[in-house]
Amino acid sequence: MRSEQEANEAIERYADTVRRICMIHLKNHADTEDIFQNVFLKYALSTAVFESEEHEKAWFIRVTINACRDLLKSFFRSRTVPLDTLLDQPADLTENDRTVFDAVLALPPKYRDVVYLHYYEGYTAPQIADMLRKNVNTVYTLLNRAKQALRQTLGGDDDA
Amino acid sequence: MRDELKTALDKVTADDTLRQSTRAFLARQTGNFGAAKTRPRTAHRMAAAFACFALVVAGGTGWWAYFSPTCAISIDINPSVELGVNRFDRVVSVEGIGADGEALAETLAIRFLSYADALDALLADPTVEGYLAQDEVLSIAVAGDNEAQAGAILAQAESCAAGTRNVYCHAADSAEMEHAHEAGLSFGKYQAFAVLQSLDPSVTAEDAQGMTMREIHDRIAALDPEAALTLYGGGHGHGSGAGHGNSAGNGQGDGAGNGQGDGAGSGAATGTGSGQGSGAGAGNGAGGSSGSGTGAGSGHGHHSGH
Repeated sequence: MRSEQEANEAIERYADTVRRICMIHLKNHADTEDIFQNVFLKYALSTAVFESEEHEKAWFIRVTINACRDLLKSFFRSRTVPLDTLLDQPADLTENDRTVFDAVLALPPKYRDVVYLHYYEGYTAPQIADMLRKNVNTVYTLLNRAKQALRQTLGGDDDA
Repeated sequence: MRDELKTALDKVTADDTLRQSTRAFLARQTGNFGAAKTRPRTAHRMAAAFACFALVVAGGTGWWAYFSPTCAISIDINPSVELGVNRFDRVVSVEGIGADGEALAETLAIRFLSYADALDALLADPTVEGYLAQDEVLSIAVAGDNEAQAGAILAQAESCAAGTRNVYCHAADSAEMEHAHEAGLSFGKYQAFAVLQSLDPSVTAEDAQGMTMREIHDRIAALDPEAALTLYGGGHGHGSGAGHGNSAGNGQGDGAGNGQGDGAGSGAATGTGSGQGSGAGAGNGAGGSSGSGTGAGSGHGHHSGH
């Protein structure tokens, strides 16, 4: 088990990353809190040794994505609709930001991860493939389709 | 598109409330990161594990105690059946020896009965009654390391057998039982076989397997009637004798004499006794003295046995 200090440092460093992944998968605050608790508890209890900060960050991203998937897969969730849908977005979003979010959230879930990892975190397709345990070519395909879909809704240049 | 996404997502941050609640949650779940709560939890787990272990051991011991026979009852006519009796006086195994024995064992529904009920049921069984009606000999032998239990079972067997002719009860020991099983015989039959073999060394265990108890009995009786009687009852007798003698003298002197007699009796099955007496008298004086002694002895013996 890790020390309290390690855990608190990890929360400082990765809370925003975890929050963003939650943002593109989940729609309410309670679920986000769930994911936070799961991910950081897993970290606190894990004995994994990280070679670098990059390695550690990749671990957090993977664990968070898996936790989100598990949560969405659960039987209870598949039969219920949260009441506070979309109540958990930051207050200071511009119109443009909202459009971007809406476009990303309109994508099927499997595209959202690659869009986030590629466009926001700047990972390459092979890195994403490694992180998501997917074939590299699958990641390329997902990226291309996501790009096309976003271009249709958002317009603009393809600056990938 | 990349920039737009970046601008938008940059605004998404984890607020302090979320961070705080996560920290609080971690402290709760890990027991302040191993400081306080882990030890009691380990202790609880150990206690639970120990409780489970104790339960398994207790269950196992109970199972073992119930299902391990402490005494064995061998019932022999021609088919031989051995009953295993556990420490709670329940019949836990019914084992037939030889083909007829197995057939008989299968028809008997006496497993898990108390041995008293089992013996009653066995003597009332039509097959057994049929054999007894043909004047076959039924022997009930009890063997066990626990003498108190073996004695109680033997007493019970005797009381069950009391009203039935040709039923003999006797005790055996567990060493004999092992020899018997090596020879492929039930130990009740083995005892009889051992006596027969001492009289007629040509008899083998295989012969004995095919013989009924009545046949073995009859052969023993033909070879040595004493042995037949001692087989199912150790006879003992005692005798005592007393003799006395007296003497009379006349003349001038007196004579007095006394005699002693002793008798010894012995009996194996019947007792005989004999007594002898002698008397001696001595007198002095002018006359003469004469003494005579008479002796009488009586002896009695009794035979006890089953």
